Amino acid sequence: MQNALATILQPTASQAAQTLYTDNATIWNHMSDALHQSLYRVLSMLISILPGILAFFVALAVFTVIGMVLSAVLRRGLSMVKFDERMTRNRGNADWTPLTSPTALVARVSFWGCVLLGLIIGVSAFDASYATAATLPISLLPYLTHSVGAILLLIAGNLIARFLARSVLIGAVNAQLQYARFLSLGVKWLVLVLTAAMALDHLEIGGRVVELAFGILFGGIVLTLALAVGLGSRELVSRSLESHVDRTGEHSTETTAASASESIRHF
Amino acid sequence: MATANPVPDVTPTPVEADTCLLVLLTAMPMEQLESVLTNLTTSFAAESLLIAAAEALPKDSYPHLQFVSAPATRPSWTLTAADFVNAHQLAQKNNARAVLMLGPGADSLGLSALRDLAHAVQGNGSDLAIPCYDLPPQAGLLNSALLYPLSRALFASRVRFPLAIDLGLSMRMAERLSGVAQRLTGINQDDAPLWPIHEAVAAGYAIQEIDAGSRVMPQPSAPDLNTILPVVAGSLFADIEAKAAFWQRARQLPTARIAAAAERAALPDASADIAPMLQAFQLAYTNLQGIWSLVLPPNALLGLKRLYTTDAEAFRMPESLWARIVYDFVLAYRLRTINRGHLLGALIPLYLAWTASHINIMAAGMSSEQHVEAVAAAFEAEKPYIVSRWRWPDRFNP
Repeated sequence: MQNALATILQPTASQAAQTLYTDNATIWNHMSDALHQSLYRVLSMLISILPGILAFFVALAVFTVIGMVLSAVLRRGLSMVKFDERMTRNRGNADWTPLTSPTALVARVSFWGCVLLGLIIGVSAFDASYATAATLPISLLPYLTHSVGAILLLIAGNLIARFLARSVLIGAVNAQLQYARFLSLGVKWLVLVLTAAMALDHLEIGGRVVELAFGILFGGIVLTLALAVGLGSRELVSRSLESHVDRTGEHSTETTAASASESIRHF
Repeated sequence: MATANPVPDVTPTPVEADTCLLVLLTAMPMEQLESVLTNLTTSFAAESLLIAAAEALPKDSYPHLQFVSAPATRPSWTLTAADFVNAHQLAQKNNARAVLMLGPGADSLGLSALRDLAHAVQGNGSDLAIPCYDLPPQAGLLNSALLYPLSRALFASRVRFPLAIDLGLSMRMAERLSGVAQRLTGINQDDAPLWPIHEAVAAGYAIQEIDAGSRVMPQPSAPDLNTILPVVAGSLFADIEAKAAFWQRARQLPTARIAAAAERAALPDASADIAPMLQAFQLAYTNLQGIWSLVLPPNALLGLKRLYTTDAEAFRMPESLWARIVYDFVLAYRLRTINRGHLLGALIPLYLAWTASHINIMAAGMSSEQHVEAVAAAFEAEKPYIVSRWRWPDRFNP
């Protein structure tokens, strides 16, 4: 009895296979539909922003050509009026004098100015077409523009850090501070930490964690430097005070070394 | 520093009355001014002089002298661009035939020096009369280390004090210097020093060096080497850069003048303590190697390494090493290898090392003047090095 019932209730092998086939086909159809729809959406988005991309490249190319023409015209015109010679006569020994000739500098600035203008116009055209076709979120684009800003920040920060570190190093060595290198490194890392924090803030990464970490690091470096300079320059301060007292006549005794060094006149 | 207060012990030989000499007195204290005026009236016929000064002059005390007011300039330890502009403008306005510029402390200048400076530009066919001071061996060291050797090697001039603070100028020389000075004042560099020797040599004007004896040299108001050396060296390097096309051509150095100041080759009056200078150099060697290696070739760095390990008693910087170091810094200034302020700051410890070496050499018995001449000769010998590197800076330089 039980066997008979079991035989009745058990589905046949062909029936099971048919059901499985039907289920698989349904899943495949769903997946295929999903993929098709996704592909359609991406393609339609690409098609809608394609004019923007094309506009970007056309604007860049046109303004690059304009920049090249303008640069060549300026180069020729300034050479004709002997711009370099006039500038050399008038500039004196200023520290900011450029490495290249003034004519080349003007030509380059005009060329890169045009390229930058083309870039801005292209991006704005792309932005307009993107906004109209923003049926799908593209979070990468705004992030990309922020990344460019962050990279520029990092480059500027690195240059400033190197310049200040070198200034401090040379100044401290000429002031005969024994911890000149330490001071220079401290200044360099101060600027680098500040730059890194600014770049992360610009990228909106980290949020309050970055602010907190920056505060701790910056404060730590300043405290370390203050302690190092304070403890290390005790002798310097005392020497300075002694020499002041000597100058005002309150201190009558003069060391032999001081009198000897006074006999040397550099000018 | 030795000072000399000249006593009018020489019979004055006044210049011709029909020649007008403009005497420009730079900013100096009133007692110095009065002393200078006394010396001038002793040396020259009063009617041939026109005195110009920014300060209120005691006209009542000198009724025979003609006075003219000069625009006020900032007090400086050397002649500045503004002084040269004023001198030419006043000379032109008053139809002067020559100009005598006297710097601070000119009351210590001898009467014969005053007369010779004026005579040279009034009737002797010279355009620039420049004094040769008799300074103590340990004075004017920046001039001995840098200004004189560079000026002699590159501009073929034996003038011992290229940055002299008393000058005699013919009108065309005054005009040329005024032109250079106006470019500097036009960009607010009124206090910049000028290089009259370079201008005169470049223009092909006649230069006469006058033995001026001892003189009190004014010191900068803030005698800080870290401030003054970059200013002076920077101005000199800029002038060398501006006249590159001129000095790269080979020129014959004029024969050595038989100077009355041969006694300058005397032994030092006191041995100075070189320990602070050596400490400065050693500190710089341990910290500034990264910067020096951007400017100096490996050979010079090796020479500095040897110096670093040398004892204080045996500390001697070879003349050729110093010459090459200076030339490399001139080249780096031109190429802007690093920021110019940094570059000139990095030169200071090396200059102090040279000073320590100079003092050691004097202590060993060699006279200051002999050593300075040896340094200048080394600069001349190494001139092909800077000419080559100036033209082909990227060429391999061991």
